[in-house]
Amino acid sequence: MDYRKKQRTASLAIHLLLGLIVLVCLFPILWMSLIAFKDTKESLTGFRSLWVENPTLDNFKRLFQLIPVWQNTFNSVFTTVMGTVTSLFFCALAGFAFSKYRFPGRNFLFYFIIATMLVPAEVGAVPLFIIMKKLNLVNSLWSLIIPKIATAIGIFYMNQYISDVPDELIEAAKIDGCSDFGIFARVVVPIIKPALASWGAVTLISRWNDFFWPLLYLRKQSKYTLIVTISLLPISEGLSTPWPVILAGTTLVTIPIIALYLILERFQKGGSFAGAVKG
Amino acid sequence: MFKNFKKYRAPYLFILPFFILFIVFQLVPTIWTVYISLTKWRGIGTPEFVGFENYWKMVIDDMFWESLLNTAIYWISGLILILFLAVLIASLLNSKCLKGRAFFKTATFLPNICAAIAMGLIFRMLFDENVGLVNEVLAAVGLDKVPWLAGTKYSKIPVILLIVWRNTPWFTMIVLSGLLNISADYYEAATVDGANGWQKFLFITLPSISNILFFCSVTLTVDMWKIFNEPYILPGPGTSNTSLFQYMYESGFNVFNMGYASAIGVIIMVMLTVVSVAQFLVRKRQGEVA
Amino acid sequence: MRSKNLVALGLAVALCLTGCGGGTKTAETTGAGAETTGQAAPESKAETESPSSEAKVYPAGTVTFYMNGNPQFRQQYFETWLENHRDVAPEVSVEFVQVESNADAREKITMTALSGAVEDLPDAVFLDRLNLMDLVQAGLLVDETEFLTPLAEKMVDGALTEGMVSGKMYGLPDSVRPQLLMYNKEIFDKYEIDPASMDTIDGYIEAGRQLKEKSGGETYLSWIGSNNMTWKCWGRRGLMPQANAKVWDEEGNVIIGSDEGTKLALGALDTMYSEGLLMRVEMYDPALYDAINSQKIATFDIGAYWDEFMRQNCQATAGQWRVMSAPAFKEVGKAGAPVSSYMCIVEKGEDSVYKELIEQMWYDFTFDTESRQAWVNSMEEQNAPYTNPISLEMLEDDFWKEPSDYYGGQSFREWEGLTLQNGANNMIVTAQDAEGDEIISAEIEKYVAGDQTMEEAIANMDKNLKAKIGKAEIVD
Repeated sequence: MDYRKKQRTASLAIHLLLGLIVLVCLFPILWMSLIAFKDTKESLTGFRSLWVENPTLDNFKRLFQLIPVWQNTFNSVFTTVMGTVTSLFFCALAGFAFSKYRFPGRNFLFYFIIATMLVPAEVGAVPLFIIMKKLNLVNSLWSLIIPKIATAIGIFYMNQYISDVPDELIEAAKIDGCSDFGIFARVVVPIIKPALASWGAVTLISRWNDFFWPLLYLRKQSKYTLIVTISLLPISEGLSTPWPVILAGTTLVTIPIIALYLILERFQKGGSFAGAVKG
Repeated sequence: MFKNFKKYRAPYLFILPFFILFIVFQLVPTIWTVYISLTKWRGIGTPEFVGFENYWKMVIDDMFWESLLNTAIYWISGLILILFLAVLIASLLNSKCLKGRAFFKTATFLPNICAAIAMGLIFRMLFDENVGLVNEVLAAVGLDKVPWLAGTKYSKIPVILLIVWRNTPWFTMIVLSGLLNISADYYEAATVDGANGWQKFLFITLPSISNILFFCSVTLTVDMWKIFNEPYILPGPGTSNTSLFQYMYESGFNVFNMGYASAIGVIIMVMLTVVSVAQFLVRKRQGEVA
Repeated sequence: MRSKNLVALGLAVALCLTGCGGGTKTAETTGAGAETTGQAAPESKAETESPSSEAKVYPAGTVTFYMNGNPQFRQQYFETWLENHRDVAPEVSVEFVQVESNADAREKITMTALSGAVEDLPDAVFLDRLNLMDLVQAGLLVDETEFLTPLAEKMVDGALTEGMVSGKMYGLPDSVRPQLLMYNKEIFDKYEIDPASMDTIDGYIEAGRQLKEKSGGETYLSWIGSNNMTWKCWGRRGLMPQANAKVWDEEGNVIIGSDEGTKLALGALDTMYSEGLLMRVEMYDPALYDAINSQKIATFDIGAYWDEFMRQNCQATAGQWRVMSAPAFKEVGKAGAPVSSYMCIVEKGEDSVYKELIEQMWYDFTFDTESRQAWVNSMEEQNAPYTNPISLEMLEDDFWKEPSDYYGGQSFREWEGLTLQNGANNMIVTAQDAEGDEIISAEIEKYVAGDQTMEEAIANMDKNLKAKIGKAEIVD
């Protein structure tokens, strides 16, 4: 009796605490979306900012006047999707090599890859730009995709995931005369689909929100990604855009990626992160 | 040698793309940056070789030291708060009596999806000195308004909160995956032995996820040392919120001291290496003790 | 699986886009509006007047501009212009790339030039003096002395000054905007304070004291913030030139610590802030607009560009504002320094095919009354920004004296011209001023945050400028 009562209190406490955390997590996002529908004359400060007197779509209209939303959305979708697909492919491939082959230098190379995470690429921004020019990639969306098609952290994750694939399956495929790449494509990939989905979601988010590199490599309004044009609204000197319009922009850039995440989440089976990191 | 290579052709081919990209987009620029750090260069014309002048300049540059200190503060406070909250939230999400787990999991993950610049603007409005919601709430319960970003005393708090708010969900997910891997048998055995919840957490949960926590702390360290967006969009008076990475960016692209900026970049790499190696050493020692 | 994924993706994109479908229509209508404007403007006469008008036909391509702020709207003028000049430029289009700031434009241009990507350089860029100077030194801007010299007397005083380096002209003047004083007349009426008393700094501070007293501390004279806008607005463009203050001497040595002008300028700021006459709030933040709308802030001693921000964000006080000359220090007797912006043609070697076309477009924008007015009208319709012309002849026109509703019938356009008179000289700009501004601003910000006194701030500026920069390179 006493035990059950204790149980119920604990359960209540857990739900309350989580409810509070969810509130903290969602409030800034909801508030931003709310202001996006406010008339520019309404107050954005204090408690008065918490409701909308005259909901309006004017801010979004204004936004579409100010920036080429469609073109920039296309650029964002293109780099995000291409970036994610290529990154998943090459990281999984390398992860497969490290987890299922015993080749000379394997351990050294693996730790080497981990160590490269300690050198932030952003430090070499100026030389990187010159290299990009030599490769003819300035002003090309591919400049955002190619450098990141095989990332250290991605390979690390994939290695951990693929280690869990039973060796017997791979041996069996080898006996059946499957080529190395065939084993990867036909045996490994189908098994690690949930892992691909969860790593894909992570990659998607970081590509979509990438701000530093597009600002560096892209020099045409028609090539900017959505996050760049929207971020320029508040930080470009001399731009008098009213705040509700700016927040309409940040809402516009946030909602699609949340929607994408929710969709991808459905492919991640329960506990798909399990086994991702075993240290 | 060649025979060997032929035998292992497939795995080498599979990992080749990474190394090509690494050399072109990371190794060459890094070495180049080290060279630029030894020159005086305004981004125009030929760099003039000046040896270690830029590094000496750093020693007497208050702004450099302040941003180094700020970065260390972001790193330590981020590490502690994020790991603590990640373990807490993951444990809550993992508790057996939780209903609506899917909803809670998704809802607590959403902050990680939002762009830092966008959320920074929202935090700036929340922490406004005169009419921000946070101060309005404080005033409503009878407390004094706090000059969050307007004074140097509290200005880092909104930045740290934004960092924690955006990064915790990701680590929560990783910790949660670790918790799911712990066998229920351990807990049952402990219950039989009469252990309470706190003891179970201390003696079963924590040791089981220590590897994961270590991994989290290493990745967090790298992220924190190159923090840029959060302090950039939430500046405090003077350089009170400036991160090292931000100072490097401003020295290079606003003030056009490319040599100096590169030297700061080199320092960031050195600091990151030192801090990470230290973490590995601590970990190794722990491992030997355990 | 993959196709499912794709469908999901497509759905997500469709979802987020339909939500905003309403917007496109407006965008199209605006586009059409701009075109109508274009048709309304008759074939420009200026073409024949223009010094560089030959029957030259320009090759197909895109003229690219870098500009911060609101480039979309300037683009409309040039697009219309090209529509009306298909005889010389049948297949030329124009593209404006939005950049973060003048420094960002400079960074992008030098980096592109450095990497040897000449064809990727823009054809022209909008710059202030500091970044213009830097690009001139790098040999990246085209010398326009020959083109501009005969036009000098047709432009307002000082239009060319800030665009000159070593006696040569590199900038096609785009705008010259004065520092002026905006005040909320309703507040002054309410507390029975005579705005005319604000013609001197002493009178200005006194008006602030009265406001504070009579409103019981509710209404502030003006604002101050703890980020770099305080130095930009109050310092470099405001009180410093008004007090004839100097950061560097003629040789480029740091003298800010002992300069009397600096003491005068920053001392005035200190008086206002320490007496509680300035509300601490960040420029451009919603809190500032909120304070304006609730009549908590009575005046702005600021550049004319502020007009646009007020109209966009502070409609609640429309009709209450008035404009007058910025207050002057008795000791110096000058109003604030004007801010000039220049359109500079980028040196692209043999890729510079559009040099004369840009000159022609600039010429019409500057001197062709009809097309300029049509554009300004269209800007007003769209509630978009525009600046006063720099052509003396154009300024004579009654069009530039039309009353503005926001200023209760006072003509902002006319006053923008009037307040240009008696302007102070701008502070000398050196190649080190980007870094110098950062150092100076940091100390001011710490002062505003309450960490140090103004005397300490000035001493620290002096110390840090000497330690980090030493001697500045003076360019004339």
